[in-house]
Amino acid sequence: MSRQGGRGTESKKMNSELFTLTYGALVTQLCKDYENDEDVNKQLDKMGYNIGVRLIEDFLARSNVGRCHDFRETADVIAKIAFKMYLGITPSITNWSPGGDEFSLILENNPLVDFVELPDNHSTLIYSNLLCGVLRGALEMVQMAVDVKFVQDTLKGDSVTEIRMKFIRRIEDNLPAGEE
Amino acid sequence: MAVCIAVIAKENYPLYIRSVPTENELKFHYTVHTSLDVVDEKISAMGKALVDQRELYLGLLYPTEDYKVYGYVTNSKVKFVMVVDSSNTALRDNEIRSMFRKLHNSYTDIMCNPFYNPGDRIQSRAFDNMVNSMMMQVC
Repeated sequence: MSRQGGRGTESKKMNSELFTLTYGALVTQLCKDYENDEDVNKQLDKMGYNIGVRLIEDFLARSNVGRCHDFRETADVIAKIAFKMYLGITPSITNWSPGGDEFSLILENNPLVDFVELPDNHSTLIYSNLLCGVLRGALEMVQMAVDVKFVQDTLKGDSVTEIRMKFIRRIEDNLPAGEE
Repeated sequence: MAVCIAVIAKENYPLYIRSVPTENELKFHYTVHTSLDVVDEKISAMGKALVDQRELYLGLLYPTEDYKVYGYVTNSKVKFVMVVDSSNTALRDNEIRSMFRKLHNSYTDIMCNPFYNPGDRIQSRAFDNMVNSMMMQVC
């Protein structure tokens, strides 16, 4: 009997509701711990950053994409491969700035926010801020400094969720002091 | 089309109660409160032997001269009570069942909202919209 190979190549199915509920529990616990929406947003961003710097390795290993030559290619890879792989959605890319260094990702439905309704006392909470951190952390590991923020959010009443990504600069490897 | 819809918690306090028209609200609150006795009677009448086969839909709880009251219990002992107008004879049992099913689905959606603590009053826009769609339109 031959063994089926490649346990690592088959995708492990998980119930998306469990994922959504887990994220929801995380955010509400942070809200109880910090009591201040700004702090919660910062924490979510930090957590997302930590996830992103690790997730990028998994992504590059699984997707086999090569180096991106410009920011547009990066945008395509993020929207069509990365989001599809991890969240199962494909956002669309719009609103390129004239310099080609800023664009928007439009998500019609965000699996993190299924069933969620923001109460009135948390109106400045950016619920999905973890995603911003993940994108920032992951791109930093491939030598790109970016600024990521939410422009529209379905939880706040907008029709779609829009994430704005801005390229800041390429990160050069810092030579340690004392070396030529 | 219902005249009053109520969601009652396991401990028999109301989580959500909405009636239309909005005057005479107290009368509906009273009707729902008295219907809880009938619900408890039906649940205990099923007995311990039949707990597996107990259906969630309880059917007509009791009729008054103006209204008919229907009940539905979930497995977590959350009760939905619906008061409908007796003059509206077009409402069939199937329709009532489907209305309760929609209520139950919306209730589970609310439970999944991480900001909702079980036992709180229900203050969800989505739930309100769904209930409004089931209530009678009063000009």
